[in-house]
Amino acid sequence: MPQIITEQNLRNLIDLLVKEAKLVVGPKLSGSVVLYEPLTAGSDLTLDALPRRSSKELFFPICEDILSYKRENGAMKVNDVDRSKFPEAVLIGAPPCDAGSPAILDAVMSWDYKDEFYLERRRKSTIVGIACTKGDDACFCRAVGLAPDAEAGSDLFLTPLKDGSYACNAVTEKGQALVAAHQNLFSEGAGAEPKPFVDQAVAKLNLVKIKKWLEEHFEDPLWEKIADICVGCGACAFICPACHCFDINDEGSTDDGVRRKHWDACGFAKFTNHASGHNPRDVQNKRYRNRIMHKFKYYDDKFGKTLCTGCGRCIRACPVGIDIAEILETINSKQD
Amino acid sequence: MCKSDNIYLPNLATIEAIVDETPDVRTLRLVFQDEQVRENFSFRAGQFAEYSSFGFGESTFCIASAPTRKGYIECCFRSVGRVTESLRRLEVGDTVGVRGPYGNSFPIEEFFGKSLVFIAGGIALPPLRTVIWNCLDLRDKFKDITIVYGARSEADLVYKHELKEWQERDDVRLVKCVDPGGAGPDFDGKVGFVPTVLEEAAPSAENTIALVCGPPIMIKFTLPVLERLGFTDDNIYTTLENRMKCGVGKCGRCNVGNVYVCKDGPVFTARQVKAMSQEF
Repeated sequence: MPQIITEQNLRNLIDLLVKEAKLVVGPKLSGSVVLYEPLTAGSDLTLDALPRRSSKELFFPICEDILSYKRENGAMKVNDVDRSKFPEAVLIGAPPCDAGSPAILDAVMSWDYKDEFYLERRRKSTIVGIACTKGDDACFCRAVGLAPDAEAGSDLFLTPLKDGSYACNAVTEKGQALVAAHQNLFSEGAGAEPKPFVDQAVAKLNLVKIKKWLEEHFEDPLWEKIADICVGCGACAFICPACHCFDINDEGSTDDGVRRKHWDACGFAKFTNHASGHNPRDVQNKRYRNRIMHKFKYYDDKFGKTLCTGCGRCIRACPVGIDIAEILETINSKQD
Repeated sequence: MCKSDNIYLPNLATIEAIVDETPDVRTLRLVFQDEQVRENFSFRAGQFAEYSSFGFGESTFCIASAPTRKGYIECCFRSVGRVTESLRRLEVGDTVGVRGPYGNSFPIEEFFGKSLVFIAGGIALPPLRTVIWNCLDLRDKFKDITIVYGARSEADLVYKHELKEWQERDDVRLVKCVDPGGAGPDFDGKVGFVPTVLEEAAPSAENTIALVCGPPIMIKFTLPVLERLGFTDDNIYTTLENRMKCGVGKCGRCNVGNVYVCKDGPVFTARQVKAMSQEF
């Protein structure tokens, strides 16, 4: 039987979760922009805009300590980070293009060597996704196989209804547990009609065809044509729900400090620079080609998934107007 | 420390010896501080590690010593950046971090019964030096061993003391060279670029494996020479030294096309290299 939660009860749920000492993260107005931030009360939840950055940082922070070191009586000591202290967390109000990103990133973070920083946060978190009714003309989730009502990645999925309440589907055991623990906030019933989803300008892409074209066109005039205007600012990577490149650096003195893992971007000129000065991706269009290849070919080769959720953030953020959806449509329409 | 599931935690090692190979290339001999790690650390020739200088970060170098030499490992690096310059400031007795070993290795057992030709340029000798000593320590397993090694100038040749040792051994043929203009008055090697000197040295390709490491430009001109000498792409091995950070297939920078050098390599045959997207 479908379950319904009213908007007030959704906010009450957040209040309760905060009282339970859970880290509740959701879209919140921060100054003039909406960001995923810790919610201190249900009234913080802002569901009328896509947050500027994706929700990936709940699992994979922009910058995090991976160890600390301290010289004691002349001897260096390295200390692990206590991951058991990572809080139980609930991500609430993430649309499918954000809620779906961990389901993609789990693959790279857990193959062979396991990144327990990411994986421990994943184990301790529940994702309450929400069907998207506020897309704009940069959205292209349908084109990459998701949809405004795609449940992939969500533990509990909410569909906004015309009367302001939400239809709830507990997709996973974590989602069922969240509902069961707060059953009084939910009621059974079919509810009202769902709110309509926004039409998307980008037609559905044939990702198999695109991948095949990429495979055969590592060298192609397209790369220079589309990407020599790229200024290498890295904004597209930093707001992306799926980009996972990072760097490792120390912060502190030679005697006392921390080692940190922090986001990086393949668009940066020095990303692949060798010690000799030689750079395999020596010009910007090679770096941009890597971005497209990684998302639509390499990641699929390795893990069977596309490294893009179609959120459109990179299109909105690019200072020179590079439009990844347009590039994919161009490739999709090629005859050869 | 090793029992943690934190894949980024290094083991601690003490610098036991420092050798200045050239004015800006240095070897560190490292001994693990933890007794268990010291006894149990094992690697294969061709694998690499992440070496850390506390307060600065990590750098990726091959393990340049041979797995047949127990009790220590060595790395060899040129000081060019923040981390390598800080590693250079360290002294005997200081502590560094070591994560690894990572990546694949040279299939040395498959080379048993064959002749070997090592071809290296400049600071690319360390990744082959681990194999050279590994094979010299098992000398009776191999037929002829030839080493062709060149650098820009005499001063840029690394492992000078070992070059002398190899030169004096009668079971190794060492052909050393420097680029035109790079020889001093007493230089006892050849003058010329590595590919040209290799062609003149003309090692037989019969039942022989070639192991090549050098700057991209050297590799580019060496592969056709090897082909002319009769080497097939399956009998040529190289190790790619791309920039890395995590070393474990996550951070996304060492890839050549869809090949992750840190996980799928760093050791590849020429056939594998030719099949990759040409992004070197």
